[in-house]
Amino acid sequence: MSETGGPDVTNELRLPWDDDPEDLYEHAPCGYLTTLPDGTIVRVNETFLAWTGYTRAALIGHRRFRDLLTAGDKIYHETHYAPLLSMQSEVHEIALEVVGADGQRLPVLVNSVLERGAGGTPRIIRTMVFNAAERRSYERELLAARRVAEASEQRVRVLQRIVADLAAAPTEAEVAEAVVRAPEPAFEAASTSIYLVDVERDQLIAVASTDPTTGNWEDMPCSSDRAVAEVARRGDLHVIGTVAEAEEHFPDLAESMRRSGRNTVVLLPLTTGSGDEQALTVLGVLAFSFREERSLSDGELRVIRLLGQQAGQALDRARLYDDARRREERAGFLARMTRSLEEEHRLLQRARRLVERVMEFADWAEVRLQVGPAGLLEHAGTQPPDPDLLAERVAVATRDAQPIYAADDDGLACTVLPLTARGRVLGTLALRMTPDRRFAAGERLFLADLADRAGLALENARLYEQERAIARTLQRSLLAADVPGGDPRFVMETYYQAAAQDLEVGGDWFDAFLITPSKLAVVVGDVVGRGIDAATTMGQLRSAIRALASAEHGPARLLEQLDRFCERVDSARMATVVYGEIDLLTSELSYACAGHLPPLLHEPAGSPQYLLQARSAPIGSRAGDRRRTQHKVRLAAGSRLLLYTDGLVERRGRPIDRGFEILAREYARRRDAPLKGLTAGLADTMVGRDHGDDVCLLCLTLGAEERLERSIGADPLQISLLRADLRGWLVGHAVDTDCVNAVLLACSEAVANAIEHGYRDDPFGVVDVSATVSADAVEVRVTDRGSWRGPGADFTRGRGLQLIEESMDEVFFDRGEGTTVTMRRNRGERRQP
Amino acid sequence: MTDQWVSFSRHGVAELVHLKGEIDLANANDIGRAIVARTTGASAVLIDLTAVSFLDSAGVRLLDFIVGDLDDRGKPIKLVVGERGAARMTLQLCSFRTDLLATDLDRAAAELDR
Repeated sequence: MSETGGPDVTNELRLPWDDDPEDLYEHAPCGYLTTLPDGTIVRVNETFLAWTGYTRAALIGHRRFRDLLTAGDKIYHETHYAPLLSMQSEVHEIALEVVGADGQRLPVLVNSVLERGAGGTPRIIRTMVFNAAERRSYERELLAARRVAEASEQRVRVLQRIVADLAAAPTEAEVAEAVVRAPEPAFEAASTSIYLVDVERDQLIAVASTDPTTGNWEDMPCSSDRAVAEVARRGDLHVIGTVAEAEEHFPDLAESMRRSGRNTVVLLPLTTGSGDEQALTVLGVLAFSFREERSLSDGELRVIRLLGQQAGQALDRARLYDDARRREERAGFLARMTRSLEEEHRLLQRARRLVERVMEFADWAEVRLQVGPAGLLEHAGTQPPDPDLLAERVAVATRDAQPIYAADDDGLACTVLPLTARGRVLGTLALRMTPDRRFAAGERLFLADLADRAGLALENARLYEQERAIARTLQRSLLAADVPGGDPRFVMETYYQAAAQDLEVGGDWFDAFLITPSKLAVVVGDVVGRGIDAATTMGQLRSAIRALASAEHGPARLLEQLDRFCERVDSARMATVVYGEIDLLTSELSYACAGHLPPLLHEPAGSPQYLLQARSAPIGSRAGDRRRTQHKVRLAAGSRLLLYTDGLVERRGRPIDRGFEILAREYARRRDAPLKGLTAGLADTMVGRDHGDDVCLLCLTLGAEERLERSIGADPLQISLLRADLRGWLVGHAVDTDCVNAVLLACSEAVANAIEHGYRDDPFGVVDVSATVSADAVEVRVTDRGSWRGPGADFTRGRGLQLIEESMDEVFFDRGEGTTVTMRRNRGERRQP
Repeated sequence: MTDQWVSFSRHGVAELVHLKGEIDLANANDIGRAIVARTTGASAVLIDLTAVSFLDSAGVRLLDFIVGDLDDRGKPIKLVVGERGAARMTLQLCSFRTDLLATDLDRAAAELDR
């Protein structure tokens, strides 16, 4: 065998590396198998037998290679190994597991070669088997490590997402929602709940849970002996690994673990503050649990602690943010409230507004003000608190000028705030906040601020009210001054209607006075501005006109003097005035208009005319035409002259021309109406009750008409208006008092009869009255178009008819379409007593 | 509501009713109710009509009712109407009993006691 051709020493002397081939085969560092093409083992080496524990006899001729494989590998053998070998005639490094005689699995790597005979038919398979046990375990370790890394990465991903969510959560509630969703994906927890500490109420509030049915999920006092409260107090992470462990430390937890089938619970305080234990603040507790007994690795615990810190910081931030937002809301509310109060000038309305506004966050509120004899009380909301307890608290708050805040157990739940201004308690605002805000200490500053502002606003309204009352009184006293009356030569009717919104008194005024026994002056004017100043100026102007009016000068001269007057009284500048003087002997009107609306004249015949002459600029005008002129008109007996201020014709959204047209028409329509009530009726028709400006009217009837003709509605209230006209007319014709009284009585009775009987069923009926007077007698005719039922002289009205008969000398009834009563009473000596 | 026409006071034991202004169909019922409310329990009544500027048959009806009511109860009543004036004229035209009418308050009160 020697290649050198030297002596064959192989049998005698074997070199250590010169292995016996047989021995090499048997004890090679790998297993050898020789199988038939169908896999039946025909030869196997000792190494393989030693690894697997089989005997040679058990294998050779009895088993196929694939019979030695695990179930999974058998399939793999069929699907991959065998086809591959058949195609390529060799396979390499196939990883398989061989099942040993004792059932132990041996991871192996296999190389096989298929030897073919002549013609290429498979003859034999040689298989080399490497022990891969260590390599496999190494691989498994690698795999496990990778899985751990992956799980940790998954956890980190979940946590990263949570942290991102936390950063974006602006409110405590949203932070809680984000945190409560963490433990399940991160640690495969079964359910999670979160509790937040409410410092003001010293409570742990159960805010969110992924499964509220598990555990004992409800609010508890911070001092509770329950596990959650205990952990909140301690401030560090608790992992309760088993029910038994819970039993030992937290009986309540053990009970709920058993009930909801949990075996491990983690209680994680949500903390903020530096790492320093002392400065740590617990803002809440996150509780999550596992069905199985779960041990947590150090890495997991680290991550859990991190979650607690992150959540705590987010909560802290959200609380600050909540605080800031609430502060902003409160500031916004106060600004809105102040603005809203300023929209109302009157005290009552302002108090009402305040209550309305406060109801945004209260379920009951009441303002009491110590103003006027009765005080002022406005309230809103349902279920008012106990009145006695409230009265007591109001009294104390008023006395001490200190707010009394609602407390949890005071049986009233109402905060009472004194409303002070300029060091004086004006009244109180009592309110019961909605339950979510009721006891929050943070509200106190806000409420104090609210009371300050409300107090000031109400005090201003009170002062305004006071000023307004003074101005109103001043104005009334000036207007109510003696307008001449009871003069048979003229009758006057005036009317003043304050603006409905009633902001401040206006500067409108009217006046009438006798300059001489036979010369009457009438004035209507309007001072620029409103309030006390306007009322005062109005008074000054009115007095000035009274002083300046003289028999000699006339209207134009008077206006010139007023121009000079306002050199000294500047507030009178730009006032408008219409001034007229009526000569009662000649019935001549001389008038002048200083920037004022033209008077309206209605003579007995024809339609009303505006007097458009003698116009010039307002008093003291610098830009306008101040050349004062006057104009004369002769007034027929019975003429009606109307002076008025712009409030009567001006209406927003309507051209002034249209206003003039309507006034002329309405005035004409009332031609036959009694003078009494005419101005009020005109104002009512022209501007209604809801108008924005003051209205001032003066209507003058000059001289007694030859014939009095009036039409009144079927309304008993109108009889007295008619009587007033008739009385004035009779006096104007120098009829003596007894006769006047008798005619008034008879006429009233006749009209009352017409209303009560003729128009019993017709509220819109009209009664016409006409009267004439001669030297001999007064004759009155009362006509209705009603349907009298029965004879008319029924029992109840009998006395009325009797009075007519008794007070008049002749009475005729004419019953046709309606009824006409004609009555006549003789005058003077002709009267038969 | 009726304060502008009617007010009340006492004159000795009598309930004194002051009427003023115009009393007619439009206000007589309301005035009547106000008076009756005060006089139903009165032991004597004086009605002062001196300030009344007009009185119609509705006013007469009202006075008639009050007088009748007091007469039924046996309580004295007097109407003070002055020497002249609208109220006296109307009541005279209606032929009110002269023993009911007096020209001044003191005399009327004195007559009540008799």
